[in-house]
Amino acid sequence: MRILRRAVLTYLALGLGAIVILAPYLMSVQTSVKTPRQFAQQPPLAPPDPVTGANYAKLLVGGHTLIPPLVITVQVVLVVVLGQLTCSVLAAYAFARLDFPGRDALFWVYLATLMVPAVAVLVPRFVLLSEAGLVNTFWGIVLPATFGSPYAIFLLRQFFRAVPQELLDAARIDGAGHLRVLRHVLLPLSRPILATLLIITVVTHWNDFLWPLVVTSGARWQVLTVAVAGLQSQYHGNWTLVLAATTLATLPLLVLFVIFQKHIVRSITISGMR
Amino acid sequence: MTARRRDTLAGYALLAPSLVGVGGFLLLPVAIVLGISLFRWDLVSPAHWTGLDNYHSILTDPAFGRSLAVTAFFVLLVIPVQTALGLTAAVLLDQRLPGSTVFRAILVLPWISAPLALGVVWRWLLDPSDGAVNQLLGHRVEWLTSPVLALPSVAAVTVWTNVGYVALFFLAGLAGIPPQYAEAARIDGAGPWQRFRAITLPLLRPTMFFVLVTGVISSFQVFDTVYAMTQGGPAGRTEVVAYAIYREAFVDFRMGRAAAMSVLLFLLLITVTIAQQSYFRRRTTYEMG
Repeated sequence: MRILRRAVLTYLALGLGAIVILAPYLMSVQTSVKTPRQFAQQPPLAPPDPVTGANYAKLLVGGHTLIPPLVITVQVVLVVVLGQLTCSVLAAYAFARLDFPGRDALFWVYLATLMVPAVAVLVPRFVLLSEAGLVNTFWGIVLPATFGSPYAIFLLRQFFRAVPQELLDAARIDGAGHLRVLRHVLLPLSRPILATLLIITVVTHWNDFLWPLVVTSGARWQVLTVAVAGLQSQYHGNWTLVLAATTLATLPLLVLFVIFQKHIVRSITISGMR
Repeated sequence: MTARRRDTLAGYALLAPSLVGVGGFLLLPVAIVLGISLFRWDLVSPAHWTGLDNYHSILTDPAFGRSLAVTAFFVLLVIPVQTALGLTAAVLLDQRLPGSTVFRAILVLPWISAPLALGVVWRWLLDPSDGAVNQLLGHRVEWLTSPVLALPSVAAVTVWTNVGYVALFFLAGLAGIPPQYAEAARIDGAGPWQRFRAITLPLLRPTMFFVLVTGVISSFQVFDTVYAMTQGGPAGRTEVVAYAIYREAFVDFRMGRAAAMSVLLFLLLITVTIAQQSYFRRRTTYEMG
């Protein structure tokens, strides 16, 4: 009896939590398929009648098309993910598997930079890139994140160090160089941590807002988040359109999440392990 | 060439790209921000050396003081609530009733959505006349335009976003606790609440440390949610430090003052982290001996 009562209470609490989390998403979708006229005349929670795709049509092919920002966001994420993972893997291999003077000191410097808050280096990064003439360019958006992240290097190094030395020695004796050992021995063994870093990097940079907001201006290099923020201030009060835009901007990662749900949930916890 | 020479060469060759990243986009900016903070500069006309004037000016500026207070209040609102709710959710999920994984996935959902987009959605939900929240309540509340309610509203949305993420870490921590401890205590006659307080909570300390440190550091830097929901208003009541830095640098073009604010934020975060670290270290040795 007591066990049953506890299960019922647990389900009630979890169900309430799930409703509170899901409701904003569902309400945005519901509102995004209303006409502005219905939105103005009826209470916010009234069901859409008739259902219209006009807001989405405007955002896909109409005057406020989100397609260019979508393409730019995809490109940004691709370049950052490729660059950051490659550079981090190389550095992590050097820290984990090679012995050279200055290695430990450098590793401590890398670790120390984990303490640098992104907001605090906003101004100097902007100044650097503006001196280099890269403000309002594609490279201006991606460069700060492309050359590897100390966090990814730290996680990968832990993983690489756990691989038994005999495995690497065997490959070295067969005449493989560092890059081949890395590619054919370490990387295949490191799939879980690589998948984790991939997921975290994609989510972080798909959703990034402050840096693209600062380093770009005008429509040319707008990423999705900046475009959505622009729509909100330009069409203030035109909520059916704005909520269609937030839904569109959220949708691609939502689809990925539904497909890779288990993996993503596991990744978050791996990334926090110490 | 000796093997050691070869390793050294290979090591630095492999590190080269990341040295560009860490050196050029983390270390160099820290040096530059210190430098800029000693100048008056609007990005266009030549910079003008002013020594410590920027620090003096922001530290005596009531707006910056208010901004620090707003940020501190925000952190104090967010951290206890999101930690408590995250821990509660984790304990509930840890019972592993059928369907738990579905609930877990739903709770994590906001983590994969852009904070900016979620902020926009919540701005609509909390809109005084067009928003769903007031319709559900049945009367008009000025969530984002009232000086009293604006910051708690932004904090509540932040908690809503983070709870699932925090719960995941506690869930991993709970999974690492051997069930024998609780079992032994149960045989000794300890009730569920006693077991939770005397066994689970102390053993969760490493997780708690991680969740608190990362939570404090990220909420000290909150920007996207504020930008989407209130733009710092009404009358600066939600102008957190990150927003103040942004406005100072990229709206008012006072780079020197923005740089000085960045340096102070940096020092503040380091102090907080060290304080948290020593607190946990002391408590851990004292109680777990």
